[in-house]
Amino acid sequence: MEVTSDKFRAAAARSLADTQLQRALARIPERFVAARARAAAEFGEFEQLRAAGAAIRERALARLDVLLERFEAEAVCRGASVHWAVDAAEANRIVLDIARGHGVRRIVKSKSMVTEECALNDALEAAGLAVLETDLGEYILQLARERPSHIIAPVIHKNREEVTELFSARHRRPRSTDIAALCQEAREILRPQFFAADMGISGANFLVAETGSVALFTNEGNGRLVTTLPRVHVAIAGIEKVVETLGELAALARLLPRSATGQAISNYFTLLTGVRGATESDGPEAFHIVLLDNGRSRLLGSELRPILRCIRCGACLNHCPVYQTVGGHAYGWVYPGPMGAVWTPALVGLERARELPEAATFCGQCQVACPVMIPLPDLLRRLRTRTTAEHLRPARERLALNLWGYAARHPRLYALLAAFAARVLYRLGRRRGWVRWLPLAAGWTATRDFPAGEGRTAREVLRRERGG
Amino acid sequence: MSMREAILTRVRAATAGKQVPPAPEVIPRAAGTLTEDPLVRFRRLAEMSGSTLDEAASPATAPGRVAAYLKDAGLTCAAVVWPALAALPWTAAGIAAEARAPQTTDAIGITGAFCGIAETGTLLLLSGGDSPGATSLVPETHIALLPRERIMRDLEAAFARVRAEHGSLPRALAFISGPSRTADIEQTIVIGAHGPKRVHIILVG
Amino acid sequence: MRVGLFITCLADLLRPSLARAARTLLALTGAEVVVPRRQTCCGQPALNAGDPATTRALALKLAREFADCDAVVLPSGSCAGTLRIHYPGLFAERPEAERRDIEALAARTHELAEFLDTRLPEVPGRHAGRVTYHDSCSGLRELGVKQAPRALLARVPGLELVEMMNAEDCCGFGGTFALKYGAISAAICDRKCAAIRASGAGTVTGGDLGCLMHLAGRLQRTGDTTTRVLHWAEIVAGTSGAQAWK
Repeated sequence: MEVTSDKFRAAAARSLADTQLQRALARIPERFVAARARAAAEFGEFEQLRAAGAAIRERALARLDVLLERFEAEAVCRGASVHWAVDAAEANRIVLDIARGHGVRRIVKSKSMVTEECALNDALEAAGLAVLETDLGEYILQLARERPSHIIAPVIHKNREEVTELFSARHRRPRSTDIAALCQEAREILRPQFFAADMGISGANFLVAETGSVALFTNEGNGRLVTTLPRVHVAIAGIEKVVETLGELAALARLLPRSATGQAISNYFTLLTGVRGATESDGPEAFHIVLLDNGRSRLLGSELRPILRCIRCGACLNHCPVYQTVGGHAYGWVYPGPMGAVWTPALVGLERARELPEAATFCGQCQVACPVMIPLPDLLRRLRTRTTAEHLRPARERLALNLWGYAARHPRLYALLAAFAARVLYRLGRRRGWVRWLPLAAGWTATRDFPAGEGRTAREVLRRERGG
Repeated sequence: MSMREAILTRVRAATAGKQVPPAPEVIPRAAGTLTEDPLVRFRRLAEMSGSTLDEAASPATAPGRVAAYLKDAGLTCAAVVWPALAALPWTAAGIAAEARAPQTTDAIGITGAFCGIAETGTLLLLSGGDSPGATSLVPETHIALLPRERIMRDLEAAFARVRAEHGSLPRALAFISGPSRTADIEQTIVIGAHGPKRVHIILVG
Repeated sequence: MRVGLFITCLADLLRPSLARAARTLLALTGAEVVVPRRQTCCGQPALNAGDPATTRALALKLAREFADCDAVVLPSGSCAGTLRIHYPGLFAERPEAERRDIEALAARTHELAEFLDTRLPEVPGRHAGRVTYHDSCSGLRELGVKQAPRALLARVPGLELVEMMNAEDCCGFGGTFALKYGAISAAICDRKCAAIRASGAGTVTGGDLGCLMHLAGRLQRTGDTTTRVLHWAEIVAGTSGAQAWK
């Protein structure tokens, strides 16, 4: 998938001017933030649960090699095939080979961010396969030829009128702007496709090492249909998604839905192990699990390692003032918001996404909301340090910072400059106490006035008072 | 070197010498899970998740309760049932039950349940030769017969019971909490996305 | 007890009345208050701009200048957070002597409200009317400053404290973020301004000057010339000459 994260600033400006998008984003505080807060309060010991979640994920990462090998052995023992992909291109090739090997023509998919990361649909369609997204939001995006703007609410940026337009253009049915009617329409259109498909593709919320199982959390039921009806099931998972035991999975099952949508549990939580038994009338005859690295093993040994705990709940997006203001598309790739501002530079390269770690207020809401306590502001700060160290920061910014840093280390010079600046500001704002335009702080004064101060620095004032 | 080895080599290098943090001492449960009567809690939370509940004194009387529900809801009495439940007196209760895998035209699916989970009001269904997963998924109405004594406090207890009774895990464990839903369009909740629109639980025994 | 007041660079440049308020309040606790002359900035801007080396240099400078103080007090949650939370991490791999000095500094660093909470015997300020308190992010989420400033404000005769909706939400300042992404920063701020107005308070206060100048500057630019913006310490101290930003 094309990375446009380097155009964050322009994309954010478009988002700010998009009144329809702003109305859509305004739903986030009630539908997601408040819902999560209620779920956490109802749970009770939610902070202890977060701590347990963080420990479980850290433990898994510390023994990732052992757990992956155990997962593979258990899964194979139950008749699944396990494939390893170093990058997105390999993952796509593997899935394509599986499809060809099984004579597949029609594929149904349930929502999976890792397949967005791989741009799997493009690869499969290029090879002549029919791929249908069946999650309602992803289906709408497939019709619109757009990408998700949120990792759990992919179509949050669209309103019902836009969905009506897309459906009426494609389905040739009576138009409706009623949301329930639109959902029913999608259900009726997609229903036969589940039965007609040869292959289902899903992601994996977690992999369980001790049983070789894939865990999926869904609400719509399409995830179950995709993994129950077609004769082939392919599950794609990042290598970091493994946990050791069912007990650990139970803990994460309490965290994920509450953090994502404020539900105590998703409508469907399915645990899939192995292939259809001899006496069973449904379930896939072939079960392929693709383990994707795509930069994750490199992250494991880096200072960004804690991001690998991420369980893709979307809480950090929902709680982020910047995400709430510009939406997901501005981030320019698959993963938006605070987690995306770490994942994107980590996976596609800092030089292609250096704006994202900069576009954060460090308010810390993401870290407080994160179910596995990832220190997101700290990771963003580390990325900013790398931006400086790798000379990716614009020269003007570097110069300003260096001059300021030099002055701050030299108290006499600093005092002189501060006293001078205090006087200049005061003169500039004399009549009203506010400065409307400052050439050196145009980014500020474009949208806000700048206080003119009192004409003296605090240290001058205090010293004079003491003296007098 | 294979891709598998390439990945594992990098992972090993990154984890070598890393201290493994201790497992959490306790995994908290939702408030009340360990103190509330499991049956009371199961009923309360199952209703909160949008399921409806009823009771039957014994398996033999369950078809009558199913028929009463279908009649009240104005639904068809033609149902697909799990082969595991084929022996119940469906015909006597006025239900045209067929014990087979469901098709896209089936409106009512009747299943058993391995257990209920009180913590979240959830049903656990296991896949098997006489318990197809599609029966709880394809029809618009899902009716589940849940033996009353099979209500467990939490997920951990449910996993333990699966292992005690089956050894290894069946192919599919489906934890079901109410009818399917979506909130994709304008974050407005609509019941009945791709799965059932109604989930009716009959506590048996 | 010898208390060192770190004025913070923003208050030094833009808000001497805050420095006076802080000094007045600290003196009321009976402590000996000193304001080391060579202080400049805690280095937070450098830390957040990817230049931890400069922050380390400033941390050592600060530790030297406040070496003879039993407590270092700052009228800013984010600056206090820099000293207490971020400094030690920056020295994790530095020589033992430096690390010891910095950890000792962190251990005796206080945000002003936390320091005064149990120590301030009397409240000199008077205020007529409703005031709403904005929880600045760093003070709240890094240091847990929540009740202390509210408790101090509640002691001001005539002052009625009212809570705005989502008082804990970010105002969009974010240090250099406010300069580099001014439009996003202002859009976030507009939500906060709406919450302030909806609270019915004529005055908004907080514990971080950066947030306050951002709020005040946005209110000013959008034509709101009635809502007053003051640091809580200025209200509690009743600093003569403290002109509200409005």
